[in-house]
Amino acid sequence: MDEFDFLSRIPFGQYIPTQSVLHRLDPLTKILIFGAWIIAITFTPSRVGLILGVVVVFAALLLSKVKVGFALKSLIAPLPFLLIIAVIQVFLYSSALDPKIVASIGKVHITLSGIWAGGMLLIRFCALILLLSLGGFVISTSELLQGLNRALAPLQRLGIRTMDFIMVIQVTLRFLPFLAQSAERIAKAQASRGSDWGVKKKGLANRIRQVVPMVLPLFITSLRRSENLALAMDARAYGVLDKRTSMTEPHFNWKDASAILIGITISLAIFLA
Amino acid sequence: MPEYYETVPVLESLLPPLIQFDHVVYRHPGTDELTLPALNDLSLQIEQGEWVAIVGANGSGKTTFARHCNALLLPTSGQVLINGKNTAHAANLAQIRARVGMVFQNPEDQIVATLIEEDTAFGPENLAIPPVEIRARVNTALETVRMGSLRNRPTHLLSAGQKQRVALAGVLAMEPECVIFDESTAMLDPRGRLDVMAEMQNLHHRGITVIFITHFMEEAARADRVLAMKDGNLVYDGAPEVLFMDQPLLKSCGLEQPSTLLLLNEIRKINPALAHLSTDFEQALQEIPTYSGAYFLEPQQFSPSSAEALISVQSLDHYYLHQTPLEEQALFDISLEVTSGFAHGFCGATGSGKSTLLQHLNGLYRPQKGEVRIGPYNLSDPNVDIKAVRRYAGLVFQNPEIYFFEQYVGDEIAYGPKMLYGKEGLARRVEEAMNLVGLDFEKFKDRVTYTLSGGEKRKVALAATMALQPRLLILDEPTAGLDPASRRNLHGILRAYQQQGSELILSSHSMGDITELTQNLTLLSNGRALRTGNTADLFNDTALIQEAALGQPSVVRLAIRLRERGWPLPERVVKAEQLFAALQAIDGGQAHG
Repeated sequence: MDEFDFLSRIPFGQYIPTQSVLHRLDPLTKILIFGAWIIAITFTPSRVGLILGVVVVFAALLLSKVKVGFALKSLIAPLPFLLIIAVIQVFLYSSALDPKIVASIGKVHITLSGIWAGGMLLIRFCALILLLSLGGFVISTSELLQGLNRALAPLQRLGIRTMDFIMVIQVTLRFLPFLAQSAERIAKAQASRGSDWGVKKKGLANRIRQVVPMVLPLFITSLRRSENLALAMDARAYGVLDKRTSMTEPHFNWKDASAILIGITISLAIFLA
Repeated sequence: MPEYYETVPVLESLLPPLIQFDHVVYRHPGTDELTLPALNDLSLQIEQGEWVAIVGANGSGKTTFARHCNALLLPTSGQVLINGKNTAHAANLAQIRARVGMVFQNPEDQIVATLIEEDTAFGPENLAIPPVEIRARVNTALETVRMGSLRNRPTHLLSAGQKQRVALAGVLAMEPECVIFDESTAMLDPRGRLDVMAEMQNLHHRGITVIFITHFMEEAARADRVLAMKDGNLVYDGAPEVLFMDQPLLKSCGLEQPSTLLLLNEIRKINPALAHLSTDFEQALQEIPTYSGAYFLEPQQFSPSSAEALISVQSLDHYYLHQTPLEEQALFDISLEVTSGFAHGFCGATGSGKSTLLQHLNGLYRPQKGEVRIGPYNLSDPNVDIKAVRRYAGLVFQNPEIYFFEQYVGDEIAYGPKMLYGKEGLARRVEEAMNLVGLDFEKFKDRVTYTLSGGEKRKVALAATMALQPRLLILDEPTAGLDPASRRNLHGILRAYQQQGSELILSSHSMGDITELTQNLTLLSNGRALRTGNTADLFNDTALIQEAALGQPSVVRLAIRLRERGWPLPERVVKAEQLFAALQAIDGGQAHG
């Protein structure tokens, strides 16, 4: 892979319009189902349930028509950290009282239950990351906002301006790819002036030294850009009325109802299995 | 709307003007009474359907004026009325913003959503328009700017020109009566600029009021009415033809005549047979008389010596977002050679692959397929010393000053040489580099970078790369965003640098940069190399230039037309001075056919 290609390293927030069954669901339905699955996979105590969760994630990935290989890329970056945490977990859960000792290093024992705990943690996080990426692939930002808007509608009746909160999320999501592009350009410009970008070098000190000249221009360009964006939003009448409408209308129908039913049943199955 | 006015003309006088400024004074927040206001007692009216250009030097108040037209700014004193409605009253805001739309300079900064159609819908959504109508408006707006087929594309993957069209669609979806373009063509290539001008013409024909700010006098000349601003004052309000005849006024405002007008004025003086030519360039081309004088001019000989190949690119392909679902091919089978001793240009429209190709030339990109050799280095070799490549071929990015990170000029320039050569002799290297760009070492080394003018910042950025003492200096759009004076100055610096024996490579969509600075040229189009050859030859090939979606420089067009009419001009005219010299060498008295 290209060392300057920061954009392809953040698959999260990259909507991929493949027009699949999942894409065509009502935004609120999608948010509810993904929410239920995330909760179920996070909290399920059962091994069978977790395996079921993994199967469900891959099934949904296939349904979404997004290439599985691309989705798996999102696991590459966090994998080392997950592995470390999983190994720690193995030792934490291995108590000397457990009769099924698999191996011993000095006074530290590794037990079967410890290995299970570490393995489950690893699988749980991988499944969650994949699920979040998948959410990004099938829920466009506008849909996410519209769904959130409807989910938060009760709050609006209490007089809380949920519109601004939702706009903050929208702009943040929109800025992510631009931030990656800016970072890429700055890194290249500094590399052309003799910094070590793209040169294979190791060591934390070196890495930090390389990042510092990048942070300042990134801040300045981001600030300038956000100021301009605020002006452009003002010019397009953002916030002059208390009410906003949306281009996409809610199209909640029996398909969505059954999808929610299936989604919730699956999450219960994951949780209770 | 216009039909309505035509059938009931009496009503027109009863309706308030679209935009009315009434003794408007605007002071930037935090400035006191002593500093000049940004707008100084401005009064004017703009009627429905007018096409108005605003010109003036940087800081003359053009943008401040424009932002008063849709209540982004409110006057410190005086008032602005839009259709008779005061911008200072919050209750009028929705109506005013819907009526007067605005397209900004930087296309990236005005796009709100992640998908094109969602962005177009943003304005109408803010106006709480019913979903069915929003969808209809989005369709119409995207069709108008010819972006309908790309509506589901992510916005960050568009070209600059496409982004600007999306920005316009977002404004059109609000169905405005007036659209303001605030230097919306400044970041576009020649074709992109023509596109935006064509959109303006379109809107104008549909009866929509168009107001645009520009630094390009050719564009201003197309409007019906020009407002010239200087230090917050309106110094001219009238027809463009009259303004461009008034040299003293132009000069005092920091403006210039359109280059085509400049060219015509000059050749009219040189030869009496051309003295009657129209001031309108297109018309003048038609009016050029047939030549009847003697032929005596030898065509200039130009023979490139068989020098070593400095850079050789063989069958290069490049993909963005390689191996992802969003993969896109940016370079297609590019092969070319850059010969030592000749400044080499890369020219092409936005999205033609110029920047991507340039980034291969100092090893920022490695060839995914094909081969790139730079001097002694082969980039396909995994063990190539990439730092040595970057030292050999120094690349200056487009708008390099936005990447500054040091507080002082001296430190900024010293960063590169310090990384590459260490502290020894550092001050000398910095001083030498500053001399090359004409910045005085003692005077400038402790200046704070952010307080420099645009032209000075660009010089610092150049010096920062020159201090690496590259064998080869590569520049991406070196004069983008500079005013005419700074641009000429930079041309001088680069020519001197080349004469000292350094190699120069530059990419630009400014014909001026290419014709002034390069001897050889590669034309790029849609990621393909159309042709590599002598700059003057390529620019004189009308069909080729069209294929590259570029415009021929007006000097070349004029020379071609003169040759067609039998004028004995050499084949390789690309600069105004060459044309004038050639014309002066002709016996003019006999030219009347």
